[in-house]
Amino acid sequence: MPNELLRVRDLSYSLGGRRVLDRLCFELKPAQITTIIGPNGAGKSTLVNLVTGLITGFEGEIVRRPGLRIGYLPQKVYVNTLMPLSVERLLQLTRSASAGEIDRALAQTEVGDLKQRQVRSLSEGELKRVLLARTTLGKPDLIVLDEPTSGVDVSGEIRMYELIRELRSQLQCAVLLVSHDLHLVMSQTDQVLCLNQHLCCSGRPESVSQHPEYLALFGQQAADSIAIYSHRHDHVHDLAGDHGEPRHD
Amino acid sequence: MTEWLDDFLLRSIAAGLIMVTIAAPMGCLMVWQRLAFLSDTLGHAAVLGVGLGLMLELLPIFGVLAVALLIVFSLSRVSSFNSALSETTLAIISHTGLAGGILVVGMLPSQTVNLEGILFGDLLATTRGDLLTLLLTTALLLVVLLRHWRAFVALSVSREIAQAEGMAVRKLQFLMYAMIALLVAVMMKVMGVLLIAAMLVIPTTSARLFSRSPEQMVALSACYGIAALAGGISGSYRFDWQTGPAIVVSATALLLLTLAITRIAGARSEGKRVP
Repeated sequence: MPNELLRVRDLSYSLGGRRVLDRLCFELKPAQITTIIGPNGAGKSTLVNLVTGLITGFEGEIVRRPGLRIGYLPQKVYVNTLMPLSVERLLQLTRSASAGEIDRALAQTEVGDLKQRQVRSLSEGELKRVLLARTTLGKPDLIVLDEPTSGVDVSGEIRMYELIRELRSQLQCAVLLVSHDLHLVMSQTDQVLCLNQHLCCSGRPESVSQHPEYLALFGQQAADSIAIYSHRHDHVHDLAGDHGEPRHD
Repeated sequence: MTEWLDDFLLRSIAAGLIMVTIAAPMGCLMVWQRLAFLSDTLGHAAVLGVGLGLMLELLPIFGVLAVALLIVFSLSRVSSFNSALSETTLAIISHTGLAGGILVVGMLPSQTVNLEGILFGDLLATTRGDLLTLLLTTALLLVVLLRHWRAFVALSVSREIAQAEGMAVRKLQFLMYAMIALLVAVMMKVMGVLLIAAMLVIPTTSARLFSRSPEQMVALSACYGIAALAGGISGSYRFDWQTGPAIVVSATALLLLTLAITRIAGARSEGKRVP
């Protein structure tokens, strides 16, 4: 298999006699961000669970590059509040990591100061960032994020997607993410998979946003919002009209 | 060397200490995984096990183990395992087991069985045989716990993460249930079937108030367990209280005391912060 991390061919999945996914074909390439979009019930989480190997019993084929390491952030993480557990320990739940690795991972998602905190005292947004840091620990080739911004406020959302992009460039890993935030996510993405049981369309965001099936699902407004965000500034204008320093917040 | 075993009081103290050693880690795991009610159910249903065991002229512990394993196995066969542990299901199993057990025990000749001992425990009547069974079972459970501790903790924190990162979640869960069945079978002698869950939950809850890590919570639970044991046994020895209930009441008294202390300490530090 040349180059790809993962190749999906004619992937179908049925649940209780109902076809949830129908003959999907796509590839995940190294260091590429792929976003799955689609309405509720489109099969997004099912697809993610198939890719990560959480569920099996599908038709078609999913070929993973041998030794592929996947880091996974589930959509809903019910983290037990009855257990006393520090953030540091949460990161080492299933495998050991050195203090340096833990510090680096937490710093990457800007939550280094939470290291000694108890997990039960974190807000939902903090927890998401800690768990995002966690996915990077095993030097993954692919990070799979199922709605990483649920429970995060709007400014947090924007920052979250920036962080995901930064992680991609620092770790040189591919990212597969599920998202509802069309306009926010599209500009940060290399490949879009527009899913509604079958793959309506896929490709670069600009081309997907003009595709008739995409427009039928999400409407003209969504297509326009991509155009707006695709030339978002990376600098700020001050009142005098001068360019300030790039801002990240 | 084993002369001290002739003293019934030392035998019961030893039995109590062994029980606390295994009740602390198992109790923590059960509280974390919200399985306290399962131990209660298995405890109640254990009465049926005792009755059937005696009827078939087996040691009661084998009857209890058989019934408990049958219950956890049936529960694990239901596809959505967690919903199988719904309160309703467990309550039905629990009380049917208790009621059926009392009927079976009632059919036996009255001198063969001490129902009160089954229900509330009979620590001071611990025999050398009981002590040996308790010791071996505890050793077995501790070995399994140590081998799988990281996995059990991960499973308690988040089932999804544990599963996604390649842990055999269903196997681990079933292992956990089987261990609870075994635990109930051996704790029955000390605590009585109705009070097993108390010994798994109350010291653990006290320990949680101070703990910063899972292991610390286990260690503190053991301390609280030992203190409750001391209170229960001395009360039982001096005032002829029933040992099992006395242990549970001591454990709760310690919990209330701890709560009061943390409240007062909390209020003090609040007071310091506000000038």
